Amino acid sequence: MSACSRTRRHCSAYMDGDLDAGQARLVSAHLGACPACAAHLRSLRSAVEMLAETPRLESPEPIAPRVFDRLEVETRGAGLALILRPAWKARPLILPSLLPAAAVLVVVLGVAFALDRDAVPLPTVATRGAESWGPTGASGTESNPLFLSTEVSAPRVRTAAALTADLLDGLGETPLFVETVVARDGTVSMVTLLDGDSRHAGPLLEALRHERFEPGRRHGRPVAVSLYRLISRLDVFS
Amino acid sequence: MAAGDIALHSAEALAGPVGLERGLVEQCRRGDPHAFARLVALHEGMVFNLAARLLGETEEARDVAQEVFLQVFRTLGRFEGRSTLKTWIYRIVVNQCRNRQRWWRRRRKDRSCPIDALTPADEARLAEAGTRMEGPDERLERRERARAVQSALARLSFEHRAVLLLREVEGLSCEEIAGTLSLPEGTVKSRLSRAREALRRALPNGGEEVR
Repeated sequence: MSACSRTRRHCSAYMDGDLDAGQARLVSAHLGACPACAAHLRSLRSAVEMLAETPRLESPEPIAPRVFDRLEVETRGAGLALILRPAWKARPLILPSLLPAAAVLVVVLGVAFALDRDAVPLPTVATRGAESWGPTGASGTESNPLFLSTEVSAPRVRTAAALTADLLDGLGETPLFVETVVARDGTVSMVTLLDGDSRHAGPLLEALRHERFEPGRRHGRPVAVSLYRLISRLDVFS
Repeated sequence: MAAGDIALHSAEALAGPVGLERGLVEQCRRGDPHAFARLVALHEGMVFNLAARLLGETEEARDVAQEVFLQVFRTLGRFEGRSTLKTWIYRIVVNQCRNRQRWWRRRRKDRSCPIDALTPADEARLAEAGTRMEGPDERLERRERARAVQSALARLSFEHRAVLLLREVEGLSCEEIAGTLSLPEGTVKSRLSRAREALRRALPNGGEEVR
């Protein structure tokens, strides 16, 4: 190995003062006598200094809030006790998160099947008697209606009144997704437009508010039930 | 002085007195959320800078920084204090960045280090991170130097980048780097020597023309 290549191999350690006294003397002597190796050492030092002087990069937004948000989601208040948990509990929220998700899925599928099976033609317009209901809190009431299920029978139309062609023509192209709460006495306690163009929906919603039903029943007792219906000019179904 | 510098200096001040660091770790282990908030605040600047330099993407660096502190939080109970907290966190940063790079490679995304693809906002921050009183020429020169260094870093291997950044930017000793990277100290020194040489070659004219 030539003196130049040996010196260059030791330049890094020479810069750091890591060479023993004998090696350092040899390198120093060679650098004094060899301009090429001296230039090599200068450029090595220069490169290292450039890197060291480069400004630090800063995050445009603080990181701590992101960390604490994630921790809160993962621990839901468990706090730093998580540190001391056994490994199999390291991700404590995976199972608890899946359970409500599964429950929601079951409810949604149940409602979808129930609506599909109990589908009835859109009832005709009826007149509803003025009557109000106070909230009672329990499920199956006007303030807390039930969804259709195997335990809850679907409300059936009691008073028929046809939707007029004018009413449907005013709907425009967009279908309307409407929730109707059928009260325990068979009247409509609430009609809500869930999706669709509200500008032309007014007359139809008003007509739906005057419908009258044979109420839904659960275990033989009348209960308030929510009906969800998709209404368009072409198809009218519940 | 930039906020990141303050955080770094504070972290260094903290890492020095072993008793203080041990106290903070103990508080975190006992479940003190304020202690962990303090730990994050002290080290987030250092963690982000190292991750951004290793990966070359500030968005990825933010994600990594978040993952690093989550891992710190989850595994602090296993921290035995054989190294300083700072070098222990450095190790997590390097491992997280290495894993992320491998993930990219497995998916044939050649993003070995697109560090010269920093956003204009990053470049502006780089340009302004130094002396704010300097003139436009100096600022331009600083930006050019920063870009040249980033571009050179991008051409190095991950392992060379890691050892260089830990040594020249974060100021760790070879012994500390050895602990951080789980390597013998001699290996660190020889790798550092090769990495410096690779950096010199990657810079325009060995780094002398740009200065």
